[in-house]
Amino acid sequence: MANTAKPKVEVDPITLSVVRGILETTQREMTLSLEKTARSSVFNLAHDYSTALFNATPEMILQGQDIPIHLGSLIPAMKVVAGYFGDDIHEGDLLIHNDPAWGGSHAIDTCFYKPVFWKGRLKYWTVCKGHLTDVGGPVPAGYNPNAKEIYAECLRIPPVKVWDRGQPRKDVLNFILTNMRARRDQEGDFNALIGACQVGERALLAMLEKYGEETVDACIDTLLNMAERQMRALISDVPDGTYEGSAILEDAGHGFGDFEIKAKVTIKADTCHIEISSPPQIPYFINSYEGNSYSGVYLGLMMFAQLPPPYNEGLYRCVSVNMGPKGTICNAAEPAPHMNCTTTPMETLTDAVRLAFEKAVPSKVSASWGHANGLNIAGWDKRHDEEYVTMVLATIISGAGATPSQDGWHACGPECCFGALTSGDVELLEYSYPIIIHRYSLMTDSGGAGKFRGGSGTAWEVEPLNDDMTFITFGEGRRIPAVGAAGAASTMIDTKVGRLELVEGDRQETIRENVIKVIKPGDRITNMNPGGGGYGNPMERPVEKVVWDVKNGLVSLEGAKEDYGVIIKDPTTLDVDIAATNALRAKRAVAAK
Amino acid sequence: MKSEYRLGIDAGGTFTDFVLADKSGKVRLFKALSTPQDPTLAIKNGLALISEELGVPANQIIPNCDLCINGTTVGLNALITHKGAKAGLICTAGHEDSLEIRLGHKEDGYRYDPEYPPATMLVPRYLRRGVQERILSTGEVRTPLNEADVRAACEIFKAEGVETVAISFVWSVLHPEHERRAGEIVREMLPGVVLTLGSELYPQVREYTRTSTAVVNAYLAPIMKRYVTAVDAYFQSLGAKQPVRYYQSNGGLAIGQAMTDRSVYAINSGPASAPAAGQYVCEPFGKKDVITVDMGGTSFDITLTKDGSTNINKNIDFLRYRIGVPMIQVETLGAGGGSIGWIDEMGLMQMGPQSAGSDPGPACYGQGGKLPTVSDANLVMGYLNPDGLVGGRLPLSYQKAHDAVKTNLADPLGLSVERAAYGMFTIVNANMVNGIRRVTVERGYDPRDFVLVGAGGATAAHITALADAIGIDTIVLPKLASGLCAFGQIISDVKYNYMATAPLRLETDAAYARIDELYSQIEAQGIEHLKTDGFKGKDIVVKRSLDMRYVGQVHECTVEIDNFKVDAKSIGKIIDAFHKRHEQLYTYSEPHSVVEVVNIESTVYGVVEKPARMKIGAGASADKAIKGYRDAVFSADGTRVKTPIYDGTPLGAGATIKGPAVIEEVTTTIVVEPGWTARLDESGSYLMTRDKKGTK
Repeated sequence: MANTAKPKVEVDPITLSVVRGILETTQREMTLSLEKTARSSVFNLAHDYSTALFNATPEMILQGQDIPIHLGSLIPAMKVVAGYFGDDIHEGDLLIHNDPAWGGSHAIDTCFYKPVFWKGRLKYWTVCKGHLTDVGGPVPAGYNPNAKEIYAECLRIPPVKVWDRGQPRKDVLNFILTNMRARRDQEGDFNALIGACQVGERALLAMLEKYGEETVDACIDTLLNMAERQMRALISDVPDGTYEGSAILEDAGHGFGDFEIKAKVTIKADTCHIEISSPPQIPYFINSYEGNSYSGVYLGLMMFAQLPPPYNEGLYRCVSVNMGPKGTICNAAEPAPHMNCTTTPMETLTDAVRLAFEKAVPSKVSASWGHANGLNIAGWDKRHDEEYVTMVLATIISGAGATPSQDGWHACGPECCFGALTSGDVELLEYSYPIIIHRYSLMTDSGGAGKFRGGSGTAWEVEPLNDDMTFITFGEGRRIPAVGAAGAASTMIDTKVGRLELVEGDRQETIRENVIKVIKPGDRITNMNPGGGGYGNPMERPVEKVVWDVKNGLVSLEGAKEDYGVIIKDPTTLDVDIAATNALRAKRAVAAK
Repeated sequence: MKSEYRLGIDAGGTFTDFVLADKSGKVRLFKALSTPQDPTLAIKNGLALISEELGVPANQIIPNCDLCINGTTVGLNALITHKGAKAGLICTAGHEDSLEIRLGHKEDGYRYDPEYPPATMLVPRYLRRGVQERILSTGEVRTPLNEADVRAACEIFKAEGVETVAISFVWSVLHPEHERRAGEIVREMLPGVVLTLGSELYPQVREYTRTSTAVVNAYLAPIMKRYVTAVDAYFQSLGAKQPVRYYQSNGGLAIGQAMTDRSVYAINSGPASAPAAGQYVCEPFGKKDVITVDMGGTSFDITLTKDGSTNINKNIDFLRYRIGVPMIQVETLGAGGGSIGWIDEMGLMQMGPQSAGSDPGPACYGQGGKLPTVSDANLVMGYLNPDGLVGGRLPLSYQKAHDAVKTNLADPLGLSVERAAYGMFTIVNANMVNGIRRVTVERGYDPRDFVLVGAGGATAAHITALADAIGIDTIVLPKLASGLCAFGQIISDVKYNYMATAPLRLETDAAYARIDELYSQIEAQGIEHLKTDGFKGKDIVVKRSLDMRYVGQVHECTVEIDNFKVDAKSIGKIIDAFHKRHEQLYTYSEPHSVVEVVNIESTVYGVVEKPARMKIGAGASADKAIKGYRDAVFSADGTRVKTPIYDGTPLGAGATIKGPAVIEEVTTTIVVEPGWTARLDESGSYLMTRDKKGTK
């Protein structure tokens, strides 16, 4: 990584603040434009997209605060993409790319890169990445649990120019779109992504015009250096040493058993080295290529650093990462299938890093959030006689982890998105797709027990409106609950984890694996997402807080007793048997020791 | 105006402003301390001040007013402090939690913050009761309403002492009968409660928005009802000719009953009158594209009006609650006179959003504040008069301001005090510029095409520098700036929004006919409403808009249209207007894609006669009004320049002042930067223009 370089021009602190504000505003305008114009509900309802600005180096000079999981990986991806074309980048070019073996995250997150020229020279890149509706391949919406190789997942797009010196390459665009489902939506989403890149370009050029190239350059260099100093200062506060974290990735249908992912964090003065080790890659869609794994590692780091925005690449200069040998789950090599990687194994990787930092600074790090276990749906919309396909982001909204100072937010996860997603209005979803959403609610006893309770997960129950619907499940977190912090642990596990309940006629089935199935009108599936982990000993949670949760149906009478040692003697008045509660809590405390 | 007076009463956080316009065009401003515990008390106190000044008791002034208008913060305060009424929600079973799930999102800016709390629920989970019923996206009834469930919910509400009930069902906008029937049951079982139906209050697609809007309305309704009842009764006792009109966040007036039924319209009424005032003060100059900026003690509010139509927000988070109904778009930043300068984790200077407020206030107030604020910077730079405002009510301590800037900012950053103060000024202005981008660039407008109107007491010191930073070259700064919003209320019209939902692709004649029919229906309702309030004929004006998008998009863009029959012939005009608006907003359009309409809206106005304009006569010329000089800072290097200080009060119409200069008005201080010229117009505003070859 680059070392701190002194800017050529002396920067005045006032202009510096102003330039930083303009960069943030630019990113905000890109994000807004994308949200408002996109077609795919994954973009426009769910905000599953990210925007960023790079300088010519290319270093990330402003990271949007959108989806954490996209952003770490944009750093290596931008370098690979720019490196591929080298000097062959011209004013009016526009690049597209999605391939994980070329630094991408998962191939359905497709990225546009627009070089911004000033006086004939490359100055910046405006970059927009978004989760498309579909990316070709045999299974709608991209997630193919049966894929043994990446070739069975999607159309792979290495760095390609879709505009060449201002001329759209219609043949190339047509080639790409021809390989994808729901072409109308895809075309609209491409327009939206490109529009957002242009919105960013417009604002950056105006900034150069107003403040002058030298001043702006110096400000941006200074901002990178300041971020670096900020992270170094944070790391200096951590005692030198090596801290290890480990998390278990459960078997979600691949049949290879559970895997352990380990993170070793070595702090030396103001530097941090993170070493990942994971088992060899498998022929199943949960391998993560290196670019994507950066996001997981950086998210674990941010759960420790807890910095407010804005963010840039300077933050990571004092952080080095070794993703482990090529050909492992967290450092996959071609032809490993990978489509599930932004959630699985990502969230387990993030947990491992977080747990290492928890050992380093036990009082600071929050509990893990619920992992994603969600649904993609596809079928024919008879209302308009057209195909539909989408990831349903409402099905991955899990509970947030509790923190050292408060209960976890309900319905705010999954961990890899950290609250950046939105799940979409029930009416807008029903308007866009031929479905009936019977339930979208918080789940009783789903938040991890702790002195501070984890946030509740959600249940999403759906029925196809008037024709068969294919659904595909992905993710995990259906057996192992979100990991608590500072001694938090739940007794009732089954209500804390995710699962899918299928009702077909009289038949009921609980599914805890990643599958592809078809259901008919009248059948229903309920996808349940895990709650977040708790923080601290649940026997120390104030009784009145437990009672309030019971009153609100977030904790059951049984949960109050099992998870919190609180015995409610009257289910109507919710009066507590104080003596029995004290006795039970004391007994639990002894057992815990 | 046939009566002698028109009275406006605008409650703010600290002060309640009273504006009394008389038929000669004279406008008087009064201020009384706000009394949030008993809001009517401030009104009584203010009327006492007016009586004293006019030498006539209130019960002889009020009957001489053609209208008494009140902008209240009662609803807003209840929402901020979470002291609304105890509310219950009846909703579709399975959807009880949309209010708490909040679309699964945590606000941007707090992504990794472990202490940012979830939003406080206005209705806790145990008072959100699901009932069996279901309407589908097609409008058909899948499950009929289970009335026993509604009754069971009412029993719980009764036992819990619920005062107000919201009912909001999924797709009720396509089939309101279930909500209506449930409402009848609630009225029957809980005769005392206030009732809000989602499909009546906000008949538009989006369940979460509708439910949340209904809940906010329910939460505030009993509070507003009590307030409106008390104020109405008080004015009646004083012999008011007309019912009091209340100010709404849509920028229009409403009678008390409408304010109770639609309490959610009351929440941000304070700054919503700025566009009306801005257009009014720009009219003598023939300017129609107006940005208003209002800087007070803690915040900075921005609005935009383009050719008579003001930016509106729908479906936004306000104080962390989703509100659907249209509100004037007011971008509020934590940038006021009391905003504090500080150095952040990265070592950069920041201004606000923390504010010293009025207690302890800026360091220069000498009330114990030690932190440097915008006011301190303005004092250090020589903009503000150390003797305080002309009234001399509050002397300012130059030394305390100087020390606060030096200790907290100048020394740590290695700058002179002047440079640091100018830096504070620059950064707060830059924050405002970014805020202005939100009402302009994000809405597809170029800010340089607009006139900047200054409102609020603290704005005038920043206005020329701000205009420079955005590239605006014309400013209108009324002498009344500090009371401009209150003034805006008394020149506003009665205004009600009527909405309907019509998710339709614009492909068939049936779709056009349906849109036309819906417009007729909602406009008939609106006109009826205004007629009962005494409006007729030309005084009733209707404006239409549609929320449209390309098929597959989910966010609409609002397109305003004229009133014409919507049919196969005229539809092209509507579709073209949409393509044009889309391109303006997002850099592109898709002329070959199918367009759909989601929601339609008609705004009905009851036009109120405007009071006579203020008229400034001949008075002192500029050079006669110089009252002294101060050494003021106008550049980043901190150099001080000898700057004339003018007394604004004696200036006559046509008086012209070149920058650098400071003009001290009774309630505001205007800084004219080098490169700017201010001319006092007979309408009571300074027209400030940038010189062709400005020095900056």
